Amino acid sequence: MKMRKGLWIQVLVLALVFSLILVLVNNISTNLIRSGLGFDFGWLNRTAGFALAEHVLPYSSSDNYAWALLIGWLNSLKVIFASLIMATLIGFFVGILSAGRNTLLRFLASLYVTFIRQIPLLLQLLFWYFVGFLSIQGNLIGPFKGILNISNQGIVILGINLSAEFSALLIGLSVYSGAYISEIVRGGIQSVSRGQWEAFRSLGLAENIGLIKVIMPQALPAILPGLTSQYLNLAKNSTLAIAVGYSDIYAISDTIITQTGRAIEGFILLLISFFFLNIIISNCMELLNNRLLSYQKH
Amino acid sequence: MFSNLINSLVVISIVFIFLFSLLLVFKWLLFSSQWGVVTQNLPLYAFGVFPVDQRWRPCLWLLILAFLSIVTIFKPRWSWFGKVLPIAWVGVIPLGVGLLSGGLGLLPVESRHWGGFTLTILLMSCSALLAFPLGIMFAIGRQSKLPLIKYFSALYIDALRAVPLISILFFGQLLIPLFLPLGVEINRVSRAVISFTLFVAAYIAEDIRGGWQAIPNSQLEASKALGLSQAQTIRFIILPQALTIALPALTNQAIGLLQNTSLMSILGLVELLGISRSILANPVFIGRYIEVYVWLAGIYWVICTVMALLLRQLEEKVSIQRRIRKNV
Amino acid sequence: MSHIIRANNLVKSFTKGLRALDDISMVVNKQEVLVVMGPSGSGKSTLIRTFNGLETFDSGKLEVVGVPLYSNHDERNIRAIRRKVGMVFQQFNLFPHLSILENIILAPMKVQKLTRIEAEEHAMHLLSQMGITKQARKYPSQLSGGEQQRVAIARALALKPELLLFDEPTSALDPERVNEVLDAMRTLAQKGMTMVVVTHEVGFAREVADRVLFMDSGKLIEMTTPDIFFSNAKHERSRKFLNQIEK
Ligand SMILES: Nc1ncnc2c1ncn2[C@@H]1O[C@H](COP(=O)(O)OP(=O)(O)OP(=O)(O)O)[C@@H](O)[C@H]1O
Ligand SMILES: [Mg+2]
Repeated sequence: MKMRKGLWIQVLVLALVFSLILVLVNNISTNLIRSGLGFDFGWLNRTAGFALAEHVLPYSSSDNYAWALLIGWLNSLKVIFASLIMATLIGFFVGILSAGRNTLLRFLASLYVTFIRQIPLLLQLLFWYFVGFLSIQGNLIGPFKGILNISNQGIVILGINLSAEFSALLIGLSVYSGAYISEIVRGGIQSVSRGQWEAFRSLGLAENIGLIKVIMPQALPAILPGLTSQYLNLAKNSTLAIAVGYSDIYAISDTIITQTGRAIEGFILLLISFFFLNIIISNCMELLNNRLLSYQKH
Repeated sequence: MFSNLINSLVVISIVFIFLFSLLLVFKWLLFSSQWGVVTQNLPLYAFGVFPVDQRWRPCLWLLILAFLSIVTIFKPRWSWFGKVLPIAWVGVIPLGVGLLSGGLGLLPVESRHWGGFTLTILLMSCSALLAFPLGIMFAIGRQSKLPLIKYFSALYIDALRAVPLISILFFGQLLIPLFLPLGVEINRVSRAVISFTLFVAAYIAEDIRGGWQAIPNSQLEASKALGLSQAQTIRFIILPQALTIALPALTNQAIGLLQNTSLMSILGLVELLGISRSILANPVFIGRYIEVYVWLAGIYWVICTVMALLLRQLEEKVSIQRRIRKNV
Repeated sequence: MSHIIRANNLVKSFTKGLRALDDISMVVNKQEVLVVMGPSGSGKSTLIRTFNGLETFDSGKLEVVGVPLYSNHDERNIRAIRRKVGMVFQQFNLFPHLSILENIILAPMKVQKLTRIEAEEHAMHLLSQMGITKQARKYPSQLSGGEQQRVAIARALALKPELLLFDEPTSALDPERVNEVLDAMRTLAQKGMTMVVVTHEVGFAREVADRVLFMDSGKLIEMTTPDIFFSNAKHERSRKFLNQIEK
């Protein structure tokens, strides 16, 4: 009796969902036929025709759309990877400070976190780009010329040239995610019992050593899951690159769709590329997690 | 000894950097800032390009919202008001839509003339209002024993949480008209609200699921033993507790939604950030980025804080008195 | 028909090979108080939870308040049973988001479709019977354990059940709070309520129980009057158990 009722509900929901999809597909196909577009991926082979300021692999405007998308994906990967490392450094640094005993530093850390959290990321990125880079006159850092060079063209560090767009995005994303990561790190450290601190102090270990050798290894299992979701967020947030003119996967898809009108195909490709990004990040974190756990067992 | 030295160096350099930036800020405030870009455009920030003679409508709405917020946060002793407060909060949202769009004797105003702070608040409140029941639905679906419903809900929640918001908003603008029958038009604001709703519902569902899983199984047993049906158990026992537990997460969701409405400035709506960007594009105010960004940061800061305060009232109301034990 | 529970050859295992209920056959009569005893893990909770369908069983037949139940676990029959059988748990399991009064009137209003006024009137009557009328508007977290358990009893009584099940109702209480709950149960017994009580309270069993059921490793070892069980238990295992709890 119960099973039968459940079955009917499912059939009903299935029918509803299906008819909804049917109506939507019907609408969309009449709309597409009317606009003469249809649904296919042949356009991927056509010449893109737009230039890209940044590309990891060789690219020119005579390359095709598919190649342009790949370049965009690699650009995304580049900025995500770089921001991920910087955000982690900031996050751990601030997180450790805010779990520490120095009141002044704790205050400054919490100031940073609340400040960053109350302001939209997009606004922060615009700030870094337009105020942080584009309004620089001349070279900001004189004495370090040759090693570090910051101007409205971007950052040159040890001969590596980072564009203003990339740098603004990198700084904006790292400072933003760093604030969230620091909260996770602080939570992780505070989840380690007080007794562990007292134990290493009574052994005569210095605070720093104790923190690194005793507290952190125990805090990490609590930190890692939160860290993974922050990394995934960072990857998603990196699509705001379009606001500062950095050609990531989303910005390039946007351009291509505007040029070709291929919204649905473009959407599907974007979904697939994000699917791969997510898989890369979560698999790396899983690997790290397993490494860490097996390491701790020994 | 050595590590003490490093510690002191770190502390000193952080404090130094902090003081130095403070100095820069003060120098800028005193000598180079020019606030004309803000003070001369206040109506634009508030209402966008809403027709000048009709500005009283968004203005009235914002005043009502401010009044409700003050009443909610400071809790005056008029006891009759406490009971209508939730209804007032829900009702004020359609009221805002009505006041802005007109009709019923009011001059109709097209949605492309809506803008500024008013539009930001409207996008946020409409999406939140619609996303909440949808999120609850998907949360229930995901916990369902019926495999089809369970996997469909899970697929929806996971898929939407895997993609960036900007892409949902962009494709919402492009695709929603394509999905509609010929001749049915839908304006950009509604498309944005639909996209935000679909997106946020997935996150709300996930937060509620978190609360749901924190409810001890013994609560369900007690409910079953009293003869309550599955649906009654969800309605009277699970949801009230799951929502209470999930409230802090839902608060963060609401604040995130508010901040995310700024993404619509990339997609052609002139909400708070959008109108600011067009003000900055005006040659008169060219290059006055810092003033505008500081001003915007201030506004977002204030709204976020007010929202956090409002939702904390709700949180206190439901959880302090009832003290639901979270996963003891 | 004077019996209220009739169990025939109930068998249940959670994990393969380990029987939590091992071929249990028994009868509980109307207006009888049955105390269930046995060492930890012997299957006491499992047994009384099958009586209102909170646990399923693998084979055998059960009949509670005239409703038959088989291993196919018919949802409709189970709900029919639950409407006539109340249960009180070790951890009280009050609903923390509802006030005391709301806890009690929920089921009468939603299951029996009483109006709020009727339900509240009956609830206040039950609360006064339990001696806690003053707490009606408070929330569970504001009450002591003993008070919470008495509310739980009132909640179980609100559906006017024919049978009450208690699973260690006093083991989560502070020692000085145990008696207020036992007293309430005693009063119920005197009024002729049929009760099945899992408890380690020997005094209560001696005084109130009509019969004592002793279980070990899922088996019904013996089921006799308290006089015989406590002074003259037939089985080795029963005597061992009694020795242990007397220490
Ligand atoms: N949900 C379950 N899953 C698996 N095994 C279970 C479950 N519930 C009970 N058991 C097992 O069934 C057996 C009987 O458990 P039961 O809870 O009925 O014992 P009990 O007599 O009530 O013990 P106690 O006095 O500790 O409450 C035990 O071996 C227990 O481990
Ligand atoms: Mg038990």
